[in-house]
Amino acid sequence: MVLVAVISLILGVVCGQFFFTEQMIQACSSLADGTLYLLMFAVGISVGLNKQVFRRLREYHIKILIIPIGIVAATIAGGFLASLLCGLPFREGVPVACGLGWYSLSGVLLTNLAGAKVGALAFLSNLMREILSFLSIPFVAKHFNHYTAIAPAAATSEDTTLPMLMKYTSEEVVLMAVFNGVLCSALVPVLIRFFFEVLP
Amino acid sequence: MLILAIMAAGILLGFTCFPIRLAKWNAKLQLVCTAVLIFCMGVSLGGRPNFFQELAELGIDSLVFSVVPIVCSVFLVYALTKKFMKK
Repeated sequence: MVLVAVISLILGVVCGQFFFTEQMIQACSSLADGTLYLLMFAVGISVGLNKQVFRRLREYHIKILIIPIGIVAATIAGGFLASLLCGLPFREGVPVACGLGWYSLSGVLLTNLAGAKVGALAFLSNLMREILSFLSIPFVAKHFNHYTAIAPAAATSEDTTLPMLMKYTSEEVVLMAVFNGVLCSALVPVLIRFFFEVLP
Repeated sequence: MLILAIMAAGILLGFTCFPIRLAKWNAKLQLVCTAVLIFCMGVSLGGRPNFFQELAELGIDSLVFSVVPIVCSVFLVYALTKKFMKK
């Protein structure tokens, strides 16, 4: 799966940069939307086939919030640390990290708030977060625990990285990932604006 | 929201009447969809006019801003789930 992901990504970048016309690139964007819908339907079927998963989820109750809280708190801390490492002001660096992998939204938001360079940084770093999630989920699931495999994916755990979680964890973790992704996605615009306004 | 509605429809189908013998094909479909999705992501990335220039200028910073939050998230979520979500 990881090999498939890497090859697909490299092929896509090469085609996008050297071979595809603007129209074809637009068509790929529509294709991605349709594919994502089909994928979510297929993942839904896999979850539905496992009859135990809903009973298990009810048992977690409020503890289901632990994962998104951990991801958001650690990402904010990581944003401060990365800002120090790169010599960037906190008001730019922390919001970049707060994209939580949602590269399209964070790129646009930060271009409007802080200019093209910070917007490009938000786009690239959050896209890298998504790509690195694809690659690291198998490792994290194996060497930490299945719940922790949601951590790299952050906001993307409700859609694009979900099939990776499906393959390397369980249906129960997949439902937690969807919940986590919805919550993280809702927080992205709030966190970006908040930290851009309040930090020095 | 549409994505979640579609997934809910899939869950309903899987829960009620999806034949278990087709589960293997469903998994293969997921693999193909994932590959197409990542390919499209690569196209949108490579299709940016200044992609290589941006990558050269911001590549290291972007890497730092992706790796550091990932590492922090993994360690904190691991510590929290180990403490609170024991099986």
